[in-house]
Amino acid sequence: MQSDTPDKEKPRKPAKKTAPEPPPNAESPADAEDKAWFEEQKLPLAGVRVIDVGTFLAGPYTASMLGEFGAEVLKVEHPIAGDPMRRFGTQTKRHDATLAWLSEARNKKSVTIDLRQAQGVDLFTRLIKKADVLVENFRPGIMEEWGLGWDVLKKANPKLVMLRVSAYGQTGPYRQRTGFSHIAHAVGGLSYLCGFPGETPVVPGTAPLGDYISSLYGAIGVMLALRHAESTGQGQVIDVGIYESVFRQMDELAAAYGLFGKIREREGAGSFVAVPHGHFRTKDEKWVAIACTTDKMFERLTEVMERPEMASHTLYGEQRKRLKARDEVNAIVTEWTSSLTRKELMDKCLKGQVPIGRLNNIEDIFNDEHFQARGNLVSMEEPGMGPVVIPGVVPTLSETPGRITNLGPALGNATYEIMRELLGLSADEIARFRKQKII
Amino acid sequence: MTDEKKPDLPLKGIRVIDVATIIAAPYCAAILGEFGADVLKVEHPIGGDACRRFGTPTNRGDTLTWLSEARNKKSVTIDLHRPEGVELFKGLTAQTDIICENFRPGTLEKWGLGWDVLREVNPGLIMLRVSGYGQTGPYASRPGFARIAHAVGGIAYLSGMPKGTPVTPGSTTLGDYMSGLYGAVGVLMALRYKEKTGKGQYIDTALYESVFRCTEELAPAYAMFGEIRERHGPHIESACPYGHFPTRDGGWVAIACTTDKLFARLAKAMDRPELASTSLYGLQSERLDNRGDVNEIVRDWCGSLTRDEVLERCNKWHAPAGPLNNIRDIFANRQFHARRNMVSIDEENVGETVIVPNIVPRLSETPGRIDHLGPTLGEHTDEVLKDVLGMSPAQITELREKRVI
Repeated sequence: MQSDTPDKEKPRKPAKKTAPEPPPNAESPADAEDKAWFEEQKLPLAGVRVIDVGTFLAGPYTASMLGEFGAEVLKVEHPIAGDPMRRFGTQTKRHDATLAWLSEARNKKSVTIDLRQAQGVDLFTRLIKKADVLVENFRPGIMEEWGLGWDVLKKANPKLVMLRVSAYGQTGPYRQRTGFSHIAHAVGGLSYLCGFPGETPVVPGTAPLGDYISSLYGAIGVMLALRHAESTGQGQVIDVGIYESVFRQMDELAAAYGLFGKIREREGAGSFVAVPHGHFRTKDEKWVAIACTTDKMFERLTEVMERPEMASHTLYGEQRKRLKARDEVNAIVTEWTSSLTRKELMDKCLKGQVPIGRLNNIEDIFNDEHFQARGNLVSMEEPGMGPVVIPGVVPTLSETPGRITNLGPALGNATYEIMRELLGLSADEIARFRKQKII
Repeated sequence: MTDEKKPDLPLKGIRVIDVATIIAAPYCAAILGEFGADVLKVEHPIGGDACRRFGTPTNRGDTLTWLSEARNKKSVTIDLHRPEGVELFKGLTAQTDIICENFRPGTLEKWGLGWDVLREVNPGLIMLRVSGYGQTGPYASRPGFARIAHAVGGIAYLSGMPKGTPVTPGSTTLGDYMSGLYGAVGVLMALRYKEKTGKGQYIDTALYESVFRCTEELAPAYAMFGEIRERHGPHIESACPYGHFPTRDGGWVAIACTTDKLFARLAKAMDRPELASTSLYGLQSERLDNRGDVNEIVRDWCGSLTRDEVLERCNKWHAPAGPLNNIRDIFANRQFHARRNMVSIDEENVGETVIVPNIVPRLSETPGRIDHLGPTLGEHTDEVLKDVLGMSPAQITELREKRVI
């Protein structure tokens, strides 16, 4: 095996030693060349290489986002099992892919390396030397056990940005505990609030919500750390707990307990901040959401209901009064919504500028013209399977919109390419490593 | 970088104008501020951001939500309905890197502050636009809030007991925060592109699509198999046991056995390892077929112990379980304290100690900062007009008398 040099011969524009100082404007010839190259790419993360050694979604979704905006993402997986995400959700005709995998491993290239073998660790370290970002979500201590802790990786690549997502974060008494999004919703305080007062708390919509939210924080952390690394040469670790990502969404929950000892309870379909603000049934057994956050919006609703007297100050004109008479007000609104079909109700409320929305199931979403117009559903062709419809890129950038180049890759689809071209292994070496199940 | 000195925060020197309201785009600005950006909150001179009235009021008048989520910001009052106000705003735009807004599409345009105008004032400008339905499409001009976005985006339909009333997915502001997060990702992408090319751009994000993006295979499964996912109460369809279970002392625990290995650990924690044999419930498919029985066994076990006992046994065997914390539980939870997930801030102009959620994510070399809680209305107007726009005290007084600021 040949020895490595830490310089990066990436199959792309070579990275410069330092990024332009913010705010940049003075141009050297090198800057001008770089600028032209970037403008051509039209992707903010062109030239950035990401290694994603995580499993499932918390962390890997960060890598997906980076990939949507131009990064090259190498998904490092176990040579036999691969990412368990490949078996999570609805099985497809492809033996190594569920629908969830096809959608969320979008844009990635799969490289198999067994990190439990010494030579696998060596290959991984060589890959790290040629990467900008590493994403992992093992239980804290596992990477260290393999000899791939931050201290080691930092030595291999001082500019490395390492995102570590775990249920409880890298520190604190619970850090070693097993946890998933479902448990993080519970620990972070979201599940307790979901359901009817005094009844069974329910799942807040979807099981992996916390995985997505922690990945969003991860992406923010990576972008900040990347900026810092490019201007100073200093890499760093981003440490995200799923439970704390969930907890950070809880508006004034902590402040109100801290100051007034107020323990928020489940609120069913409503909310403590406003009335009527909830879900209402229609004549045709469907549901809508109505959100009158202010008195003005309630007044509009009463006009649409042809009950303008309800908005008088002596009755329910003020939020304060509506909060006190929550059940009465909701009953009146429910009686009205139940007398109309969802279509009729939507038409009337929209005409009267009342904040309303259909409570969509997935069939409704596919029939919703707005989802179509915004490109929220993207159809990708998968050989032997036909079209696979997946959620499009969020957010939408005007000059450098993201892209989806491919669905979740087959296990090891880029192993040879990466070992050969990026790490410079010979065909013989690759064959030998394959035989030994190292790759 | 010299060794001893603490490195600068990653967004030092970046200026952000936050002209948005409540939480969605303002939360993006708050994150940028935590990591070093100078955030100017532009508000209407009378009343200011409606977030000041959103939630529980303090003695100062401003609510706790405001104090927490307007952290680090400077408040500058400008009336954008007035031509002088529009000029001031353009002046600030020329001196800024990023604008965050979340008016209903068309509102800024009506004031003469649309993207085309602002881009001309500042060609490198990055503008985050968050709205209920985004800047395009047939519903663009409809009013939208997170409550409605949860419904339109498909997660409200999935929250609640089977066939029962769909419930709020935990928090009515969830979609606001999530849009703020997507906004921050977009802004940081755009900032990188701008610093390499000099080119600005706008980011268009919608509350409903931030929610919809987080529904894993909901869309592909409908497209391929026509499967319409329904509400499953405390459980999910694809794994068992997976849900919320009551304990003897009136508490709740969450358990999530997504794989056979995890169920085997739970069986050990329950002191019934035989449950995980392949002839019984060892395979996920068997457990799903006998969902009712398996859930009952787990429910009986949880119901025979206190919450702490259940968790202690699960943790011993690394079975995936956690407490369903209310906020009092959170304040008593060691992990939250060890991770410093809450910070107490006492400021003279608040007059009370306010406990707010700390910064997420945690960066090892350049952790963020909370310098101060949400400012009072117009607290920094004079400072900003003088320092950023170079105005004289006489000019500022005149604007104030005309109620432009």
